[in-house]
Amino acid sequence: MKTSIMKAIALILSADAELLDILGVTAEMSLQSSVIALLIGVPIGIWLGASRFYGRSALLVANRTLMGMPPVVCGLIFYMLFSGVGPFRHLKLLFTVKIMIMAQVVLITPIVVGSMEGYVDRVAPAVRETAKGLGLGRVKTFFLLVNECVYQIISTYLLAFARSIAEVGAVSMVGGAIAWKTNVMTTAIMQYTNRGNFTLGIALGIILLTISLIVNIVISLLQRRLSR
Amino acid sequence: MKINAFTKTYEGRRVLDFPGMELERGKIYAVIGANGSGKSTFAKILTGVQKADKGRVHTDAASVGYMPQKNFAYRMSTKANILLAGKNEEKARRLMAELQLGHLENKRADRLSGGETARMALARLMMKGFELVILDEPTAAMDMETTMLSERLILDYVKETDCALVLVTHSLQQARRIADHALYFHKGQLLEEGSADKVLYTPEKAETRQFLEFYGA
Repeated sequence: MKTSIMKAIALILSADAELLDILGVTAEMSLQSSVIALLIGVPIGIWLGASRFYGRSALLVANRTLMGMPPVVCGLIFYMLFSGVGPFRHLKLLFTVKIMIMAQVVLITPIVVGSMEGYVDRVAPAVRETAKGLGLGRVKTFFLLVNECVYQIISTYLLAFARSIAEVGAVSMVGGAIAWKTNVMTTAIMQYTNRGNFTLGIALGIILLTISLIVNIVISLLQRRLSR
Repeated sequence: MKINAFTKTYEGRRVLDFPGMELERGKIYAVIGANGSGKSTFAKILTGVQKADKGRVHTDAASVGYMPQKNFAYRMSTKANILLAGKNEEKARRLMAELQLGHLENKRADRLSGGETARMALARLMMKGFELVILDEPTAAMDMETTMLSERLILDYVKETDCALVLVTHSLQQARRIADHALYFHKGQLLEEGSADKVLYTPEKAETRQFLEFYGA
């Protein structure tokens, strides 16, 4: 065990080519999927949190259901849609980074929506009431609401990124964990552990845990700032 | 300035029944009553933050300013908060100085204490001239010194802008100090209304007398 950890640290320090490729694919997938999920989820979350309309509760229930969707189910749906018998087979996206990003967006967006909705639901009434009392217009009120959400948006993004980088079920199904092409950190850990190559697995595990630690520290600091 | 009659019902229970009244510009109207008597609901409906049972409440006022009971400070500096309602920096500085907020000008407003937030909210509202102003317990979080400063500022503001000001307060002393008229709410009804001297010292209704005795007349 100790030897494996020492070897893993040596592998990280040597900037191994395969390790760098896995990190590159992971970064591409995680960054792109989390940014896209943020761009879709933040406006929807703000809208759901700030508005009251018929059917809102049903939308919230649907979103909460999607938040709990098992990644393998998401992977299965994408696999069926894009495989050789699926309606979108002509797009030839299966086993590419693009479809991994798409699956991740579907998994992460509800989390972004839920996080933003919950926060906006708490602050919007006070923001609106105060703005109305000052005779401010709708546009100014909207920007004041967005301004109140800045830290929450950053915190939500980090949450989305952390979820994306740690996901394994959906990406292994639609990406196939192909070496030098679609292998990301989580799928590579599984793959190399199955082969008995613990060194690379541990090296990736160390990197993954370090990233997770950094993200959590940043989230904690932001949450401290958010608390009044 | 006319306010038409309106009612408010929560879950089948009538919580407010307001018969309508005329407000005179340049005057302060104190709204008093026990907790749950409908004071804050009255203020919120008048402002438009809450809806009455039937549509919007009509007032002749072209502009209505409102300071809620729970003051909210936007995530920006105290000065930036105050400048939201008007861009007159000189006026903002004067108000901050008068309300002892000068040293907090650049401090994040959402980090202010309860009393400081209330003073900031009062200064923010006073940056703009409204025809009708509703203040819901504006000094509840303030100490005696800043309460006095705020009351003086409220009187000056009414004189300067010639607005009608509705002051929801639980402090009878405050109502006696600055109000011209008083409205006594009891169980969602406007039970007694008239000059502050009459309602706050020699009320007609037994319930009003009881209230004044109980709350330390």
